[in-house]
Amino acid sequence: MPQHNVLDLLADMASGAKSIVDGMRITLHSLVFHEKVTDQYPHRNPDDNYQPGPGYRGMLGLITDPETGQLNCTACGQCQKVCPDNCIAVEGEGKGKERKPVRFTIDMAKCMYCGLCAEVCPFDALTMTPKYTGSVERIEDLIWDLDRLRAEAEGMPHISQVE
Amino acid sequence: MNEPSLTGRLIAWLADLVRGFGLPEPLVQIVGWIAGCLAVVIAILTTVIFLIYVERKISAWIQVRIGPNRVGPYGLLQTVMDALKLMLKEDIMPAASDKGLFVAAPLLVFATAVVTLCVIPWDSDASGGELSIGLLFISSVASLTVIGIMMAGWASNNKWSLLGGLRSAAQMVSYEIPQALALISVVVWTGTLSLREIGIGQSGWVYEWNLFKYWLWIPALVYFIASIAEVNRTPFDLPEAESELVSGFNTEYTGMKFACFFVGEFASMFLVSLVFSALFLGAWHTGVPALDKIVPGPIVMYTKAWLIVLVMMWIRWTLPRLRVDQLMGFAWKLLIPAGLVSIVVVGVVISVGLTY
Amino acid sequence: MQTTGFATEELVINMGPQHPSTHGVLRLVLALDGELVLECIPHIGYLHSSLEKICEQRTYVQIVPFTDRFDYLAALANNFCYVRAVEQLMGVEVPRRCEYIRVLMAELQRITSHLVWLGTFGLDLGAITLFLWCFREREVLLDLFESTTGQRLLYNYMRIGGLRNDLAPGFIEKARAFLTSLPDRMAEYDQLFTGNRIFRARVEGVGSLSREKAIAYAVTGPTARGSGIDVDLRKTEPYSVYPELEFSVPVCDTNDCLARYEVRLEEMRQSRLLALQCLDALEKMAGEPHAAKVPKTIKPPAGEVYVRVESPRGELGCYLLSDGSDTPARFHWRAPSFANLQALPIMARGGLVADIVAVLGSIDIVLGDVDR
Repeated sequence: MPQHNVLDLLADMASGAKSIVDGMRITLHSLVFHEKVTDQYPHRNPDDNYQPGPGYRGMLGLITDPETGQLNCTACGQCQKVCPDNCIAVEGEGKGKERKPVRFTIDMAKCMYCGLCAEVCPFDALTMTPKYTGSVERIEDLIWDLDRLRAEAEGMPHISQVE
Repeated sequence: MNEPSLTGRLIAWLADLVRGFGLPEPLVQIVGWIAGCLAVVIAILTTVIFLIYVERKISAWIQVRIGPNRVGPYGLLQTVMDALKLMLKEDIMPAASDKGLFVAAPLLVFATAVVTLCVIPWDSDASGGELSIGLLFISSVASLTVIGIMMAGWASNNKWSLLGGLRSAAQMVSYEIPQALALISVVVWTGTLSLREIGIGQSGWVYEWNLFKYWLWIPALVYFIASIAEVNRTPFDLPEAESELVSGFNTEYTGMKFACFFVGEFASMFLVSLVFSALFLGAWHTGVPALDKIVPGPIVMYTKAWLIVLVMMWIRWTLPRLRVDQLMGFAWKLLIPAGLVSIVVVGVVISVGLTY
Repeated sequence: MQTTGFATEELVINMGPQHPSTHGVLRLVLALDGELVLECIPHIGYLHSSLEKICEQRTYVQIVPFTDRFDYLAALANNFCYVRAVEQLMGVEVPRRCEYIRVLMAELQRITSHLVWLGTFGLDLGAITLFLWCFREREVLLDLFESTTGQRLLYNYMRIGGLRNDLAPGFIEKARAFLTSLPDRMAEYDQLFTGNRIFRARVEGVGSLSREKAIAYAVTGPTARGSGIDVDLRKTEPYSVYPELEFSVPVCDTNDCLARYEVRLEEMRQSRLLALQCLDALEKMAGEPHAAKVPKTIKPPAGEVYVRVESPRGELGCYLLSDGSDTPARFHWRAPSFANLQALPIMARGGLVADIVAVLGSIDIVLGDVDR
């Protein structure tokens, strides 16, 4: 702003200096008092690995029924139909209640973790787990087959339980 | 200069030790100079390593982060490892660059920062090389940095670097004037260009320090602000403004060449802090006469410089960056008039005879 | 023209596509006279991924996760716009509780989006500290979003006729705690940044966009309101439950970066009030349904619809043309960032290089939204 006399100029300088001192006060306050919020990935602290909440939409897995030891999946193909990325391929065998998948592959590299497949699944068979790290050295390793998907869901909370 | 200080006695003892080998006296003198300068340079470079660490920690704490904490205890070795990494890095030189200038630029920046350190007085009888025109030497050698930065900007053959180099030329030339004016106020007041004598003039209690004499806080402030601009730190870091010029004059530099710029910047930051404490903050005096006899001068100087550097860091992590026209306006419309006024005031005070 | 003997020429320089402050892959071609900007031409399209066309190949249900990816800093606002469009096409009535949750989410999303904007604006001007402070606050909200929607950035939360799921247990308490602490944090930003003389010098009178030009370029959102245009779809064309909520629309008519800055800061405060009102209303409505009954396969009747909502960046519009099948015949996305970016050259011309950075920061573009 234009200054018309010396007093204005001095007042302007003083207010400018005050604004800078104000800023420095708040940064000093932050330096001394504010809690440090960094999460040290992958360790929040050495004993506590970071786990997202149970509703987290992470890697996919196939749920095994604990009583029968069989997969819940009946290879109905709903997930395959709803997947916007076409990353699910299912083939099943058998009729009615006996129908089970023989081939179930998900290309996790294509997956965009929208969760629509787990949402449409009528038998609580396909779920998303709170697992969020999936880095591999070769991209082919991200094409998961039946066994891998079954292992992924082992002991994991199911997304359907959250709702 | 009645009795030698603690540091003086240590130096005399070392000199005797060298004489013990039977060297002729002139040679002892030369060995003394070289050893003194080397000691200072090595000490400062070690300091720079920790300055960078402290800078990162302070920025982290202000920004509610933790900062380096993985390499060594409390991350203390982080900078050492970074330096190692930079040494091992591929040295990339743009194909269309001016090779000679490209290599010379970081060396020049680094060398000017280091050379100036040698004339800093650490005690009444201890310095790398005592010059009767120490202040003149410092301000003239320090102004060579701008040539290095311009060379870097030009030789990179990159438009952003060129802009950075030009900005830096304009900025440094402008800010040298208020800096020199501030120095002149002190020179007029003390009547000497020798840093050592300026230091000796501030012995005694705290109020004997130049900062607290009459209007000398004005040149002190001018000098401080101009020094921040001279060493290209926020809010005056336009030559390397990363949000505008990518990285300014050092965009194309990698490896050790980049490290030279980086270390040079921190070394000159420490240098201006040393000069500031020598000029205004009582140099090697603690401000309490009784303590002066116990605490060695170099430690006092060193501590004061650290405190000033910490303030500079604090400023850096608080303020946004000025725009280039505002930067020039600030120097020419505010700092230079203030510097001139302070010369007049000091002159009047002296000619009226108000000195105490 | 008579010259002084030196031949001078304009410096044509590429700002981007890789540049720290173009907020993504935007390329600006600048013609400079020294530091003075003579011409500034945005070249867009580096992030173009034909999302609109992809959406025309997907069913209505499958489109929702794609809408997340337009303006990825305000995914919930995108969801909101799209599901409203389909619901209007189908004539579905959504339960009130669902509407309240949607508005709550949209307003919290506005706060997170503005926090990112504030932080990056500070970064553009060289104040790095503010950036991390803003992200600290944003992190709290992202944790909240994660607990309810399952993800932190691309939420895919809203569904045609409802929501993916209800609010997570404890959401209301945590959100209220955050919103209560927000004014203190914002006071800190003010102390650090708003009042700072250097900051004010950088933004006052910089990047002027007159009211007439803003209208001519169809600029919307906070950028328009910083040019004195009192337009906010939440007020001028009220949708959802906004008519039942109390809030004001900040407008500033100084046309510069500071005006846009102040409008956004005030919007954060207003969004906070809106979110608090939604939380109060939701507490009273506990137990009510959060979704309407809709058929499993969504096949809207043939017809077209254009629905717009106020996203953090401005007017967000979704045009749908249905031919009665389960995929839209035409899907168009009216992206606020795209329109706002077109006004950049007139704001940048005649300024300095540093001003471009400030102006670009102040119009708050998301390149995913611009290029789609």
